[in-house]
Amino acid sequence: MDSLLVKDNPLLLPMNKERTVYDGFITVQRNNFRILNLYILLKSQSFLSLVFQRLQQSSDLGSFLLELKTVLEVCVQSRPSALSIPHPQSYSDLLSELETLGWDKLVFIDTDFRTLRLRANDSSGREHVLTVKLKTKHPTEAPECAADVPVPLVFHWTPQTTLAQLHSQFLQLVESLREFWDVLDEIDQKTWVLEPEKPCRSDAMRRIAIGNNASIKVEVDPRHPKMLPECCLLGAEHVVTPLRNKLNANMHLWNPECSVLLNLRDVLEIQFPSPATHEKSSLSVECGICYSFRLDSGIPDQVCNDPRCGQPFHQDCLYQWLRALPSTRQSFNTIFGECPYCSKPITVKMAVQK
Amino acid sequence: MQRISRLKRELQMLSTEPPPGITCWQTEDNVNELRAQIVGGSGTPYESGIFSLEIKIPERYPFEPPNIRFITPIYHPNIDNCGRICLDALKLPPKGAWKPSLNISTVLTSIQLLMAEPNPDDPLMADISSEFKYNKQLFSEKAKKWTLEHAVHKSKVITPHCTAARVSRSTLASEANTHTHPVA
Repeated sequence: MDSLLVKDNPLLLPMNKERTVYDGFITVQRNNFRILNLYILLKSQSFLSLVFQRLQQSSDLGSFLLELKTVLEVCVQSRPSALSIPHPQSYSDLLSELETLGWDKLVFIDTDFRTLRLRANDSSGREHVLTVKLKTKHPTEAPECAADVPVPLVFHWTPQTTLAQLHSQFLQLVESLREFWDVLDEIDQKTWVLEPEKPCRSDAMRRIAIGNNASIKVEVDPRHPKMLPECCLLGAEHVVTPLRNKLNANMHLWNPECSVLLNLRDVLEIQFPSPATHEKSSLSVECGICYSFRLDSGIPDQVCNDPRCGQPFHQDCLYQWLRALPSTRQSFNTIFGECPYCSKPITVKMAVQK
Repeated sequence: MQRISRLKRELQMLSTEPPPGITCWQTEDNVNELRAQIVGGSGTPYESGIFSLEIKIPERYPFEPPNIRFITPIYHPNIDNCGRICLDALKLPPKGAWKPSLNISTVLTSIQLLMAEPNPDDPLMADISSEFKYNKQLFSEKAKKWTLEHAVHKSKVITPHCTAARVSRSTLASEANTHTHPVA
């Protein structure tokens, strides 16, 4: 019986002289399974009870192994195909696709040939990178794509679509966003941008320093970059109110032919401090409580409204100070207290603004 | 969070532009404890003395004031035997006047000012305070003695008249009592 067992399962080895303990591999459909690992595989697919049932019914080890192999066969077939190795043909297909696309477009490829990064340059000379993750059922299943763009990536994909076609779709997309990036690049170059700290290509928001601890937050529409963006003026009331009035009064002067920066300049009737004329340190004034400009991601946007003081604070810092004082008054989510610097009335909202 | 960024900046300012007559530095790698020295102001009984202070930074700093204490013994109406200082800037409102707009540098300057101008109406040491009010000359003499004994750098102390000034703290205290009684 033992000899038959070993003959049927050449990868099985007796572990003791009495031949009661065996270890090794059993072969099912050209896959070798280590006996020890079987438990995990069977458990994960809830075949375990079935195997125990067969174990009780089998008269000897040889017939049990035969039963086990039948169970494993079902198990292997129902296993997700993710673990199977792609067909060699898919690699040569991929290579020939890359050949037609041009190797200069390929920035990166991982060792599994599954993740690719493709380069695309728009006509303003900006470089963009498209990350493509090929699915196991490629090309029937569309690959997962990611890129640093302000709009959702939607590609037309059929099983016949090549990488070159995908690349040209991406190129079309970045070309359509060229004007948007032109507008934002002008802002980044000619003004002091307080937020975001390091703008990405996908960031449509800019917070531009105006001076006197005031700033304007603009949200540029990626599809209509030269239209009047959403604007929000931040800073002490005495600085911001005249600007807000100008913005409201001159809104009709907005010229969609000109860039956002030129329009803002004309509508607000101000010159933005630029890297050419101002030091950044003169604009990024530190919080009067924590002595830093950036706290986590927040910047000091609560400003004392007294024109002689004008001390900026982080919302979190001011809130933490005022709420601990017995002299402050709270109404709904606003705390009324005194400016720690000039003792003039100051208010702060409780909830953290994001 | 605020504590770290703030202390980093404060230590940098204290090292680059310290207030006149004041030094402050970090004692350990952590910023929980600082040391400071205040030079006794000229024209005060503390002249030529160097007074060491211990500064402990609480967890909630700058929302709570720093904890400051004299290490060098000082004869002063508002500073007790343990070196504790009675100063409103070192206490939280409503009792005190600490605000986050103050910092270690400004608080040390206030202490320097308090040394020059004691506040006998808010005394910590009643005996010294009444002495300061009613027998200023005696107060000045004792404060000078204490300064020479404890705050003057030791290499300078080797002058003949200083040996007379070497009076122990207990005798000074009893002396203060005997002298203040007839006055008060």
